Amino acid sequence: MVATNSGASTALHNQLSGQALAPSRWSGGLVRHPMVRLLALSFLALGAPATAASNKVRITSLSDLNFGALANLAADAVQSESLCLFADTNTNGYNITATGTGPGGAFQLSSGASAMAYEVQWSSSAGQNSGSALAPNVPLSGQVSTATQQACSNGPASSASLIVVLRAATLSSASAGTYSGVLTLLVGPE
Amino acid sequence: MFAGAPVHAASQGTLGATSTGSVTINASVPNRIQLTGLTDVNFTNQDPSVAAANSQNVCVWSNTSTKGYYVTATGSGAASAFTLANGAATVPYAVEWAGSSGQASGTALTTATALHGLTSAATNPTCAAGPTSSASLIVRISAVNLQAMQAATTYTGTLTLVVAPE
Repeated sequence: MVATNSGASTALHNQLSGQALAPSRWSGGLVRHPMVRLLALSFLALGAPATAASNKVRITSLSDLNFGALANLAADAVQSESLCLFADTNTNGYNITATGTGPGGAFQLSSGASAMAYEVQWSSSAGQNSGSALAPNVPLSGQVSTATQQACSNGPASSASLIVVLRAATLSSASAGTYSGVLTLLVGPE
Repeated sequence: MFAGAPVHAASQGTLGATSTGSVTINASVPNRIQLTGLTDVNFTNQDPSVAAANSQNVCVWSNTSTKGYYVTATGSGAASAFTLANGAATVPYAVEWAGSSGQASGTALTTATALHGLTSAATNPTCAAGPTSSASLIVRISAVNLQAMQAATTYTGTLTLVVAPE
């Protein structure tokens, strides 16, 4: 009974603050508080899980994006890829934050002293050529994954799309050269 | 991965409270150049005793690292000569080019012969932003040639300009 109370209390605490507490703390003064006990019992009555939610995420199947030699600078250039985004949360929800290698994390490719801005879009389904625009260092919340395995080795082979756009207005005034940059994607559960 | 791209493989995230992955994005922009802002040249009721000249500011944009370019002009006369014509009657004209705008004279061009070593100050392909022009085109008809023209007669010709990055 003590073990069951501890698990239920941990689940309760995760919902209240999202922070873990040492089990010894729960077996001490806090769990003895009448309100905590009441809430814990309420969770038990509602069939709360016996173990804590893991709230884990994973992003895999990423590939480099190569635009190659852009012959037509008067048209937008788009590269997209499907990847695996796994979210082990109650809702399979997650948020994603993208950061480029430009100043302040800007989405920017560079070729020596020359720079070229690009846009990043994200879709929470695979096979997409457009999605929600991402701003550097700003999480895009409210995403839900359909992945059922952390590396998509079972179930859907991919669960999200990363789209990168080089706008014609940028390309048509860009200096000639070979541009490169790194885009970092940080995923968090929600 | 195309030639010249840095060697960097995408990194995959691990399972955890957060997960981070990264991709490298590569793109190559070729040399490009654009010539805009050209207007027709009209010499009307010219005094044959005074040489005629017309200069105009044009926009040349080059995206090379040095913003360099060369220009080649050809006329519509025989063997691409710089001549105006009215039927069988022809009159030669001269063409000059300056690598900056607002110039009344420049380097003389020879038909079909490139003038190298020019540099553009344009920052936009059509000079819609930054400098509004970046070069000068000057066309001249000498007094001698004006005096060879028949009065009240229109002579026409086409001057073609080709710019290329360098």
